[in-house]
Amino acid sequence: MKRFIITITLMLIHATNLLAQQEKVDVFPAVSYDRFIIFQTLAIFWIGIIGLIIIIKIKLKEIERIQKMGINKEEKDIPLLD
Amino acid sequence: MKIDYSLITRRTFLNTLFGGWLVALCSGSAYALLKFAFPTLGKEPDFVVLNTKDFMNIPPNSVKPFAWGGKVGLFFKNANGTSTALKGVCTHMECNITYKPEDKKFYCACHKGWFDENGKNIEGPPPKPLEFFDFKIEGEKLIVAKKGIKVELPKA
Amino acid sequence: MNCQRLKNWVEERYDVEEIKDFAKKKLVPTHKYEIWYYTGGITLFLFVIQFITGMILSFYYVPHFEHAYKSIIEIVTKLNMGWFFRSLHHWGAQLAIVFLFIHVWSTLLLKSYRKPREFLWFSGFMLLGISIFFGLSGYLLLWDERAFAAVKVATGGAGNLPVIGNFIKAFLRGGIDVTGETLIRFYAFHVSILPLATLFLIGLHILLVQYHGMSVPLSLEKKAHKEIPFFPNLFYKDLIIWLIILGIVVTLATLVPPEIGKKADPLAPAPENIKPEWYFLFLFQTLKLFPGEILGLNGEMIAIILISCGILFFFLIPFFDKKSNRGEKSPLFTWIGIIYFLYFVIMTVFGFVS
Ligand code: HEM
Ligand code: FES
Repeated sequence: MKRFIITITLMLIHATNLLAQQEKVDVFPAVSYDRFIIFQTLAIFWIGIIGLIIIIKIKLKEIERIQKMGINKEEKDIPLLD
Repeated sequence: MKIDYSLITRRTFLNTLFGGWLVALCSGSAYALLKFAFPTLGKEPDFVVLNTKDFMNIPPNSVKPFAWGGKVGLFFKNANGTSTALKGVCTHMECNITYKPEDKKFYCACHKGWFDENGKNIEGPPPKPLEFFDFKIEGEKLIVAKKGIKVELPKA
Repeated sequence: MNCQRLKNWVEERYDVEEIKDFAKKKLVPTHKYEIWYYTGGITLFLFVIQFITGMILSFYYVPHFEHAYKSIIEIVTKLNMGWFFRSLHHWGAQLAIVFLFIHVWSTLLLKSYRKPREFLWFSGFMLLGISIFFGLSGYLLLWDERAFAAVKVATGGAGNLPVIGNFIKAFLRGGIDVTGETLIRFYAFHVSILPLATLFLIGLHILLVQYHGMSVPLSLEKKAHKEIPFFPNLFYKDLIIWLIILGIVVTLATLVPPEIGKKADPLAPAPENIKPEWYFLFLFQTLKLFPGEILGLNGEMIAIILISCGILFFFLIPFFDKKSNRGEKSPLFTWIGIIYFLYFVIMTVFGFVS
């Protein structure tokens, strides 16, 4: 009896699920494996962005350091050796 | 005949002619383009012909929609069994209305407008009552027409 | 790799040195308000995203009232990454408009519109109008219930303008009602007319920024301020901010993909409690303030006229603000700006909760 009730309730719960699905269009992949990949990719994407930002920051520091020393202005008529 | 002095020089005359001509040409072309861009407006229909069977047998206190041109019309049978037809478009901002059988009122969900059974605007923003149509039955055909319009169907 | 030959080839034809010099000489002022100056660049970046995602979406979208809704569902459910790029286009549009509004109010409050930059204000204002129309036309393309009802209300609202109202309404709808004709029209606006106009106006806008140089807020104009080179310093800072924005839109697009409602049906009743996109809410809410009839006149028409006047005044602010044109402080217009801002925010919030 207990089993029976549990099965019925579970079925009912699943049925409500079905109703909800009919109402809505899946705007996001439903398979949990796909979802996992997506979240993983998102995390990697952020790591990429943050890495790039750090590199740019370092580059900026370097540029500002050179500008402070005032050696960024190339002299026009340096004889070139090539 | 030759005039010694003229108020306009040959140059201003030519410039004016050129400019004027150009303006005329351009505005002509623009007018043609605009004519093309604006649609020739269709009209709302004066009447529509429906199938009697589909509409006369609806249960009391319910509505059934039909196409009134590009808009929606509602065929309505009230609780006493009297039938009418009306335009199912809210007089506020043209949203489609529904009939709420439990309240016996028409309801517009857009801004919560209410109309009573006779189409009178009783609550919410709608400024005017709903528009009702006349209808008559000719055998198979149910003819719904604007009030005051004489319908003459072509004899087939 | 040695590109010397290629370099020589280019240098023989174009004066590269001059261009490099020019880039080096472009200086921008730095001061405590400079953060607001990034909003324009952010908007630009978001527009680029919109253009790219939009172009790809148009490979698959079918602008016909019977197929439109289904084609979007196919994009979302069947195509590789379709759900993501649709979502990105949606969130890109939302953020572009957010930043556009911030950009407008920051140039307003910093009085960057003052002489000689009036045309920057006008071109920018037109870009704002175009962007909002972009949003409205894009919204209808989904052809679901809510979009259908919202466009009906919005185009109907334009019809309340005196004299030209009905013309505008018919022009927008392509007929007396919102139908498949309207969908085709809005598609043409969304993918051809508006993008071209936007490109032209953005070009003009940026050309003018280049021509006038960046403005300095009135309060700091007289004092000495530092200038830094645009390239590379500011360019790299812009890049950092763009990367962050990219991260944010991509995250939003993945985590909050926009819903698709039921297919639009001209005979079905309007869905419960429709709301337009958030940037229309303040207009919508304003309309609600007015009763249906005022002294026997159509209340809506009066509301629309007042709103139009408010917008026109906003547009012409550079002409009204005589003081800041002379380089004096002009607190009156700061207050006007704040009032406009507060009105917008409060009405939008009201629109959300009601
Ligand atoms: C598509 C939309 C727009 C884009 C892509 C855009 C882009 C830009 C960019 C890149 C700048 C230069 C630097 C900056 O201030 O960030 C700028 C400046 C400016 N923008 Fe916009 N903008 C847009 C819309 C607007 C709007 C709607 C307005 C106002 C109604 C506006 C008003 C201005 C003004 C007055 C400046 C000059 C700022 C100064 O020189 O101090 N822009 N815009
Ligand atoms: S459109 Fe019906 S209440 Fe506003």
